[in-house]
Amino acid sequence: MHTDSDKISSISIEDLSFLQLSDSFFPTGLYTTSNGLELLFYNKNRKLSYDEISDFIRAYIVQQIGPTDCCVIGNAYNSIQKKDFTSLVDLDNMYYFMRLVDETRSASTRSGIQFLRCVSTFSSEDEFLTFYSKSIKDGLAKGVFPVSYALGCNSMNLTKDRSGLMLLYGFVVSVVGAALRLGILQHYEGQMMINELKPVILSTVLKNIEQPADSMWQFIPQLDIIQMHHEQMDSKMFIT
Amino acid sequence: MALSRIPRIGIGGPVGSGKTMLIEQLVPILKNEGYNVGIISNDVVSREDADRMRKNLATERGLMPEDLVIGIATGGCPHTAVREDPSINISVVEEMEAKHPNLDLIIIESGGDNITTTFSPALADYFIYIIDVSGGDKYPRKRGLGIETSDLLVINKIDIASFIGADLSVMERDAKIVRNDKPYVFVNSKTGQGVKKVTEQIIKDVLFDAPPKSVAIN
Repeated sequence: MHTDSDKISSISIEDLSFLQLSDSFFPTGLYTTSNGLELLFYNKNRKLSYDEISDFIRAYIVQQIGPTDCCVIGNAYNSIQKKDFTSLVDLDNMYYFMRLVDETRSASTRSGIQFLRCVSTFSSEDEFLTFYSKSIKDGLAKGVFPVSYALGCNSMNLTKDRSGLMLLYGFVVSVVGAALRLGILQHYEGQMMINELKPVILSTVLKNIEQPADSMWQFIPQLDIIQMHHEQMDSKMFIT
Repeated sequence: MALSRIPRIGIGGPVGSGKTMLIEQLVPILKNEGYNVGIISNDVVSREDADRMRKNLATERGLMPEDLVIGIATGGCPHTAVREDPSINISVVEEMEAKHPNLDLIIIESGGDNITTTFSPALADYFIYIIDVSGGDKYPRKRGLGIETSDLLVINKIDIASFIGADLSVMERDAKIVRNDKPYVFVNSKTGQGVKKVTEQIIKDVLFDAPPKSVAIN
């Protein structure tokens, strides 16, 4: 039987940091993107089904966010461990140039820079945050979100696995949130979808977080094209 | 990242209250005084306001370069984009500051929202809240953060007050009470009536009567 003191010792400040950084209240601007879901909403002559929305998110996770963002996070942690500052900049550039859609590229750097700056206000002594901020200022790095995220999570003593989980979870919540605001999901369905996608999030992190940077890949051509079309829409609620 | 912070004004108010038209009236007056302005326009469902201002102020009248009017989609959350999580707006402002360091002022227009709208102090140094008389003369009395706490309250469309039975003296009395003597201005953004007063307030309270940078440099 567990005592109260056992329970207390099993939790830590890191658990709260885990909650803080994965909370949608944390300012990252992710709520402004639908990842092209808005275009599907307008282009379909019928309501998108629950399964179609779920498949849409699943495709992103398995075919893009996992093998790129998660991979970047894992490699950023490795760079930190080796104190290999140069490879952080290489990762940043590699990720930036793999983003095919202009708006998603700029959204990633805008969110990344703001995330970095926010975490730096309370992790001001972290040498990696300082280095990366200076690299952005000097024009050597772009400030992409997954690198900023990994450095921020590391500065708050979170493991790379948790960092990967948080990023993927945040992505799922942002797309489900977009679906709610578009009126194509209701709030219980949204939570059910997040719950159902948890095993996919978990397996995607485990599969990709230890992959070397040169094995980074993505393949969702149909969704890339959807995002490019969405980018050109005259009237829209979301940044692509 | 930006080297220096350019003064920023946030303009918020309900849908259709006249935010965009107020900016379209303010910019030419400021420009005439020598001040260079950049505009970031948040829109709930389109970039129509930004496109209109770009066409009107930049393309047709040449008052500013076209890239100084930027539209932002806010994911359907206009107040979040200027208050709870202004990350994207701050990024765009800083990109503008870095690219155009000689700007005197940046105006950030919120998407149309409710009477509790406010701007994050990290985003805007000065907050103008605009309402119009078509909601009735009870509007200031109903309070709300925008009406009560903004640095300047602008009451627009005074030309239609008589048609909808709104008493401007009631609005003035209530504005004085709920705002504890903070400034308010009655305007008709369509004709420009009263907008000069808004400009004077901006030059005094935001720019501290400093001359335009272009004049100071010369």
